[in-house]
Amino acid sequence: MGTFSIFEAGPVAQQERTDSAVAASERSLGALWGSLFREDRFFLVLSVFIGIFSGLAVVCFRFTIDLCRIYLLGSGAQPSTLRLILAPTIAGLVIAVLVIHVFPLARGSGVNQTKAALFIYNGYIPLRTAMGKFITSALAIGSGHSLGPEDPSLQIGACLASALGRRMKLSRERMRLIAPVGAAAGLAAAFNAPISAILFVIEEVIGRWTAGILGSVVLSAVSSVVVMRWFLGNDALFRIPSVEMKHPSELLAYAVLGIVGGLASVVLAGGIKFARPRCKAFAPWTHYFQPALAGLLIGIIAAFGAPQVMGAGYEYMDQAIHGQFTWQFLAILAVLKIVATLLSFVSGTPGGIFAPVLFIGAMLGAAVGGVEHVLAPNLVGSPGTYALVGMGVLFAGFLRVPMTSVFMVLEVSQNYSIIVPVIVANTFAYVISRAMDDTAIFDVLTRQDGLELPSMEEQREESILRVEDAMRPPVKRVLETSDLSNWSARSGDQKAPDVMLVRLKPSGWSSVTRKEIESTGNEDPSGAKLADLLANRQIPYLHPDQPLDVALRYVDRWPLVPVVSRADFSKLEGVITQEGVLERYRDSNLE
Amino acid sequence: MTEASKRFHFPSLEFRREPLTLFLLTGLAIILVAIVALFSRLYHAKLESLAEEWSSRGSADLDAHHYADAVVDYRTALLYDRDNDSYQLNLAEALIGHNGKDETDEAATYLINLWDRQPENGTVNLELARIAASKGQTDRAIRFYNNAIYAIWPGDQEQARHTVRLELIALLMRIHSTVQAQSELIALADNLGEDPPAQAHAAGLFYQTGDYEQALNEYRVSLRGEPHNADALAGAGQAAFKLNQFRLAHRYLRDAVFLRPTDKDSAQLLKLSNLVLQMDPFRQQIRAVDRERIVISDFAAAGNRLKSCTVTGVNSATATRQQSLQQSWNKLKPQVTGRGLRRNPDLINTAMSLVFQVERAGNDACGPGSDTDKALSLIANLHEGL
Repeated sequence: MGTFSIFEAGPVAQQERTDSAVAASERSLGALWGSLFREDRFFLVLSVFIGIFSGLAVVCFRFTIDLCRIYLLGSGAQPSTLRLILAPTIAGLVIAVLVIHVFPLARGSGVNQTKAALFIYNGYIPLRTAMGKFITSALAIGSGHSLGPEDPSLQIGACLASALGRRMKLSRERMRLIAPVGAAAGLAAAFNAPISAILFVIEEVIGRWTAGILGSVVLSAVSSVVVMRWFLGNDALFRIPSVEMKHPSELLAYAVLGIVGGLASVVLAGGIKFARPRCKAFAPWTHYFQPALAGLLIGIIAAFGAPQVMGAGYEYMDQAIHGQFTWQFLAILAVLKIVATLLSFVSGTPGGIFAPVLFIGAMLGAAVGGVEHVLAPNLVGSPGTYALVGMGVLFAGFLRVPMTSVFMVLEVSQNYSIIVPVIVANTFAYVISRAMDDTAIFDVLTRQDGLELPSMEEQREESILRVEDAMRPPVKRVLETSDLSNWSARSGDQKAPDVMLVRLKPSGWSSVTRKEIESTGNEDPSGAKLADLLANRQIPYLHPDQPLDVALRYVDRWPLVPVVSRADFSKLEGVITQEGVLERYRDSNLE
Repeated sequence: MTEASKRFHFPSLEFRREPLTLFLLTGLAIILVAIVALFSRLYHAKLESLAEEWSSRGSADLDAHHYADAVVDYRTALLYDRDNDSYQLNLAEALIGHNGKDETDEAATYLINLWDRQPENGTVNLELARIAASKGQTDRAIRFYNNAIYAIWPGDQEQARHTVRLELIALLMRIHSTVQAQSELIALADNLGEDPPAQAHAAGLFYQTGDYEQALNEYRVSLRGEPHNADALAGAGQAAFKLNQFRLAHRYLRDAVFLRPTDKDSAQLLKLSNLVLQMDPFRQQIRAVDRERIVISDFAAAGNRLKSCTVTGVNSATATRQQSLQQSWNKLKPQVTGRGLRRNPDLINTAMSLVFQVERAGNDACGPGSDTDKALSLIANLHEGL
């Protein structure tokens, strides 16, 4: 350990005093230094850097997508037919070659790859994947494939974090968590929405709330958003016109939107479930042409009057929010975007699904709002509000992330006045989607890729076994310390159970076996020695509401664990045994 | 080296690793930020140049009234600079020029967004007023027009406000909000200054709202600066004619017809005013003989009117009235002579009263009649009120 003493040398006594002071100072500084750079704290600092690097990467990614679009499709808002057809087709060919030969892990959206890094590969994602994702996704989105930049940004963030963690030689536990930290940073920068990114990573990637990881995720998300805003400005993703709810009964109209959105989510998810494995199952040589074919078909759709379906389509969502399309055209756009997104996604073109989902939601929402406005002009407000709510609806129904969907709408719009319609519509969409389709889309994709990752939705909905589920009624023999003498006298009682609980005074529990009573019965007729022994041999107790996992820590050491009331520790609610716990787990598996 | 300095050492290696890492990470972050900043500058410069390129195309198309092309151009420009107010305003103007319902709605959306940011912008308020007016939302239109009048305008503020107020007045007149239109006109006239054509235009608007007195005043003011403005002379003549100031009307109309002989309306009014002046027996500074001659002439004209306007039908109230007037005229006819009028000067009033009744009944039954009849009706209005 080093020293930081600045004292002058002096007489011996003073020198000794000084030495001891210096030693204390060294110890305290060392402790402070050590505490500052303890791995958990250093991890927090590292999270800030992960956020900064991810933010910078996402900014570059956004610039690259835009430049690709300008150079591939032209700078005009209405590209020529030739460009509309050729750009996504040729880009598709190039992307296929890159994905097959150079960046095989760049395929897909990126969310599952990040989950796989967390649960399978100990946080390892090759940096090459980030490069591949960056190049191929920018090319795909810029050339007009119906994909978005959010999921790739998430994966790029996770890759950078993983690379940084490896460089820092973090422990395996930290390495596992570092990918989600980077993912939150990437997603936050892509959406300009830190809260939604944090919630998404917690809700869909990690699946649990823990203080240790939450701090890092928050720090990385916030720092990436700061970087992103530095370069791209503070504006929200969409410019929201004034939104208002005309009357509480308008919530009925939003509920209808939720139902329609839920059904659309099922259609989109069903399309992916059906077509993706079939596309993958085609002969390997076809994989070179699948993205190109998807690009060609999307180009044809665009050339036939719907160029809005190309790319992420944020500017068109903005126009839908501002009521610049008729409801008929909005409905057509929603349908065509579903088709275009299916084509792009199932062909294995790298790119995200978030933006297309938002697009479909916005168009569908505005269309439903428009129809409702025609049918009930006094009930329904601006279709723009419905477009905004529609985004959340599809997000909730398709991605099955109910909390994220609500906050995402609020954050991208920077408008909190529509929270009630958003919650109502999203709930309907989520419930319908959940009822009509058992498996969430990310779980489907995982299984199609041959992986078995934990399903966050199933985890959320899984009922936790508690102590009360395995608890048995209070044993017949619960002894007070005062009873010990009587029991000692009647030690030959063959009906007594093998193990008995003893309620200690003033508080606490212990257990005693019949053999112990029998063996001490003659030497200690009053039971006083036994009582002393038991007082020093207290056993742990449980409460009925505690998770059953907690009981596992005790049941192998103590054959009988008391379950007591939280209000009165001396009141026995039941007992837990190892056999009972295992039996309950066995039953729950059978269920 | 002192003892103290000998004893001062740096932390050992294991404690130096993390600070060094932090230092390196900070350095790396700074370098990356600098690189991305450079990339960002290039990127934004590219977008800026594209925005300007498309905006100048849009401007050219807008000037050439190629609204559809201008819409595309400005939409593209806004892709690269979405918050540019000028592009948004020009796009809105192009959309309004394109003049489809959807385009107008989109224009309104852009303009409302602009208005949220710049409620004091005159052009934005004016365009919003025009859109509201085209949709029949008159209250909203009036509110935006009023905003535009008091808004900030580039260039000549007074001229812009004048133009806006004129549009507002036109709207108010279209919706027959005459009182509001007249009050706006008064405000307009107050701010005109020495501008004879504008004053003549304002006078014309006063005339259209039915405020003939203000119209005549404005025409007079205008004619002071531009005495040979045929339009103003004609307008002044018409206003004076409406005010029954036939001598004044005659003077203005005579000059107007002199300056522009093709002005048939003024010529007709001049003829009528001339007749009124000739056929009015109650005009001042007239000799008794002339008055008697005019009364006899007017009485004879009334007789002709009765003959030319014959209403048939036994039960018709108009026919009964005509018959009654014919009887009265026949009864009075022998008395309406030079001698009779000299002997009984009150007969002048009696005869002229009958003439006026005949002309009014003729107007009701058969329309305005000849110029003489029209002149007699005007004289009746002048002396007996409407």
